[in-house]
Amino acid sequence: MRSKRARQVGWDIVGLAVFVVMVFPVFWMVSTAFKSNEQIVSLNPTWIPLHPTISHFTSAIHRPYFWADVKNSLIIVCVTVAISIVLSFLAAIALARYRFSGRTLFIVLVIGIQMLPQAGLIIPLYVVLARYHEANVLSGVVITYLTFVLPFCVWTLRGFLLGIPKDLEEAAMVDGSTRVGVFLKILLPLMGPGLVATSVFAFITSWNEYIFARILLNDQAKQTITVWLSYFTGTDRNTDWGALMAASTLTALPVVVFFLLVQRRIAFGLTAGAVRG
Amino acid sequence: MKRRSIVALSLVALVAAAVAATTSASTKRAASNTLTVWLQTDAQSGWPDVVAAANQQFENDNPGWTVNVQYQTWGDHLSKLDSVLAAGGGSGSPDVVEMGNTETTSYMAAGAFANLSSAKSSFANSSSWLSGLAKSGTYGGKLFAVPYYAGSRVITYRTDLFKKAGITKLPNSTAAYAADAAKLFKVDKKKGFSPLYIAGTDWYFAMGFVFDYGGGIATQVSGKWKGLLESKQSIAGLTAYKNFFNAVSRASKTTDESHPNPYDVYAQGQTGSIEGPSWFSCCVGKQYTADTAQFVMPGHVAGTSMPGFLGGSDLAVPVTSGSKTQAIDWIKDFTSTSSEKALQAKGNIPNATNLLGNSVNERAAARSWFVPQAKHWVDVENGNILRNMLAQILTGHLTIKQAAQSADDNIASVLNQP
Amino acid sequence: MSEGTSTATAAGTLLGTSRRRRRVWGRIGRGAVPYSLIAPVVVVVGVILGYPLYWLVKLSTEKYGLFELIRHHGTSIGLANYRSVLHDQVFWHALLRTAVFTVANVGLTMVLGMLVALLLVRLSAWVRILVTSGLVLVWSMPVVVAVQIWYWMSNSENGVLNYVLTKLHFGDYYAHDWYATTFSQLSMVTMLIVWGALPFVVITLYAGLAQVPHDLVEAASVDGAAPWRVFKDITLPILRPILLILTSLSIIWDFGVFTQPYLLIGQAKTVPGNYLMSVYLFEEGYFENNYGRGAAISLLMVVIVAALSIVYVRRMVRIGVEP
Repeated sequence: MRSKRARQVGWDIVGLAVFVVMVFPVFWMVSTAFKSNEQIVSLNPTWIPLHPTISHFTSAIHRPYFWADVKNSLIIVCVTVAISIVLSFLAAIALARYRFSGRTLFIVLVIGIQMLPQAGLIIPLYVVLARYHEANVLSGVVITYLTFVLPFCVWTLRGFLLGIPKDLEEAAMVDGSTRVGVFLKILLPLMGPGLVATSVFAFITSWNEYIFARILLNDQAKQTITVWLSYFTGTDRNTDWGALMAASTLTALPVVVFFLLVQRRIAFGLTAGAVRG
Repeated sequence: MKRRSIVALSLVALVAAAVAATTSASTKRAASNTLTVWLQTDAQSGWPDVVAAANQQFENDNPGWTVNVQYQTWGDHLSKLDSVLAAGGGSGSPDVVEMGNTETTSYMAAGAFANLSSAKSSFANSSSWLSGLAKSGTYGGKLFAVPYYAGSRVITYRTDLFKKAGITKLPNSTAAYAADAAKLFKVDKKKGFSPLYIAGTDWYFAMGFVFDYGGGIATQVSGKWKGLLESKQSIAGLTAYKNFFNAVSRASKTTDESHPNPYDVYAQGQTGSIEGPSWFSCCVGKQYTADTAQFVMPGHVAGTSMPGFLGGSDLAVPVTSGSKTQAIDWIKDFTSTSSEKALQAKGNIPNATNLLGNSVNERAAARSWFVPQAKHWVDVENGNILRNMLAQILTGHLTIKQAAQSADDNIASVLNQP
Repeated sequence: MSEGTSTATAAGTLLGTSRRRRRVWGRIGRGAVPYSLIAPVVVVVGVILGYPLYWLVKLSTEKYGLFELIRHHGTSIGLANYRSVLHDQVFWHALLRTAVFTVANVGLTMVLGMLVALLLVRLSAWVRILVTSGLVLVWSMPVVVAVQIWYWMSNSENGVLNYVLTKLHFGDYYAHDWYATTFSQLSMVTMLIVWGALPFVVITLYAGLAQVPHDLVEAASVDGAAPWRVFKDITLPILRPILLILTSLSIIWDFGVFTQPYLLIGQAKTVPGNYLMSVYLFEEGYFENNYGRGAAISLLMVVIVAALSIVYVRRMVRIGVEP
């Protein structure tokens, strides 16, 4: 009994060590955001600023277009996540439950897109979107993000779907429900957690995306928060490290909040279905 | 339960999409009679009032027109320009772009900018533009970009440390500076302290020595580019640089001038002086602001100044612009004498010699050097050819002659690409 | 099983459709349904990526620089771009370097991810929540921000890494430049990438581990099997599908990674000697405005990545084919 306790404590200590090592850079970012400029530059690192300053946060928020860009990011990300979940769920159902010619081709398409180096696509993508008057507008960015987020979502949701036994649906069909009815009444509830998990990935990917947002959006008022962040280091002059760290902390907040809200669902969801198959 | 949340999410998506669509629709309506200008963020943080004044002047002279200034970052403004050029224009594409003076050549050679030669005389002080800037805006004898402003490099130093070391007169030659460095070492014995902090691969500083001794980087001989770094004068300059570096700097021999930033080193109290743009004085740390001043880097001949790299920006009109006349008009307003004087008041060097004043920054610009006007020069910079050469020389991996020869070969092969 | 049937019965009752309608639906639906389900995705992807892909292929056979970009017209030069790339020593060195780099990154990510996931199972609840939250915090940082912080921590002037190593008496790391040699540079990049990749891998594997039937593990250890055997014979087979997915995704992502190496090493220190494939693509293709060459390199990269991950991808495609 005692050795079991000791072993448990031992594992916990290892766990804490892992936590400290992993989280340290995040901690460093947040603590730097509260340090004075002298403490930031000094040769002797200040671990925890004893006289924290919020001047960096205020100067970051007062940079032009902060709130406008937050709004843009939120719009783009929410629309992207919503549409991608719906569309990829439908496609995943096709992949997981049907056999049709062209299935392999579709799978190749889904995986192949993820292999494309994004650097090569920037200019032609801009040309295409400009032709459809989708350059310099939020919807153009949404469409671009969908293109890159959909394949991953389809693939992941397929994995979850494969974990739900077909017998459930078959039994429902025998009992007289339509295929559509099966989707809505049986698959959807069971897939809830899986959908949440996939939407988290879509959220994080879209929120943190930089290069396409940068190229596609010309007007500063329309840009996203990650582009706004790049202005801190984009100048030929000095970089305000304190403000940059404060701005980075602010940029990361929505993702953390979103994840913390849904994280209990994920653990349940991943447990429920991901692995089987 | 889940169905309701899916429906709710879809509604949110639809609403958001509608909002996005409305935003785009309204932009299309406002597109006419708007002049789009791309300036760098330096203007946004440094002299937004000068920009506002030029906008006001333009709008007064062109009723019905508004100016839409969008600030860019140095890191990807060229990628954005490339995309706009590839698409042939489109929403938000610029009528005026700010280009760094080392970025213009390949774009001018490719025909990306409108020919402004016929309007040259209408730009203020165009007959006395700074030669370094004017060269960067001219290609094949035609004017494609208008000089905007320049910046030179000066020495920012600790007056208190210099006083403590008994340096009563500022050094007027590199030899005097090296001697002063020995005095500064005695005053501050901290580990890693540099009397003058120079990053090893800071080619903006190092090439000054090459030009000071009468050498050069590259020149065109009957249409073909040839490297000049292995010439006797250039080698003398590089040797002088190596000796000077070893006498005054304890910085890393392989690092560049932004890793770390020299003013950060200064703020940490690890150096007696730093070299760089004059705006470095902004960020020297609260505790040293009172004891900071600047002087012009001396050359190897007593009483002369070291040729400094003249950095700066030009303004060009992309060929994709549909409002070229208005674009030229705006540039006229932004580079007018009053506008340039306002820029000068903010610590920049104005674009014409007749406007030059007596600040340290401007005196340093009196003797300057510029990069070869080659279509592919930017590839030499991106390929870090000069930086590698300096690192090899300072670390001793190659002799100066070998490093210079290798750099010359690389430069020639890059510049002579079709 | 019984639970499932009752749900299905309830579902059927809720909907209560007639048998006749179901038969009709069954005939028409079966054919068109899958296609209409994948149609939206195909349309979105096709419309947006169709032209860029065509452009990439066409461009790879053309001479296309800034001059041609402005005139929207390139000159056809056949396979010259491919020839020039395949004959370029730098290309092969970068390829080899990237292959080694990918193996190191994927290996470290999967091994460390597996170890941390196994650790999570054994932790007390509160420590587990702490570690999971920490992983989420890491996952939520934008890559550019993570690079800034990483550089900030490891810079030679006032980086906290040097300070800590010196204080802990690992040696004198005062002003040690972690970005002086290629090996050191790429090691720092590897650490950054693995650090950023662990959260996703750990959380997914941990969920997978929760699938391993507890009774089987208990029975095995009661029978005297060593923990390693238990892992190898019971846990691993159950985790195989997830491991396949994660490994193949990691290979694809780590092979084409760009932001971390380019920003962390810095443009000034990026030389052919430390090119990774995507950096090579950027520097030799786009930085020099040589879009034709860039397109050729892009397509070559796709082929190479496909070849590297083909084994895993084929296995994944097969899963779920059985009815």
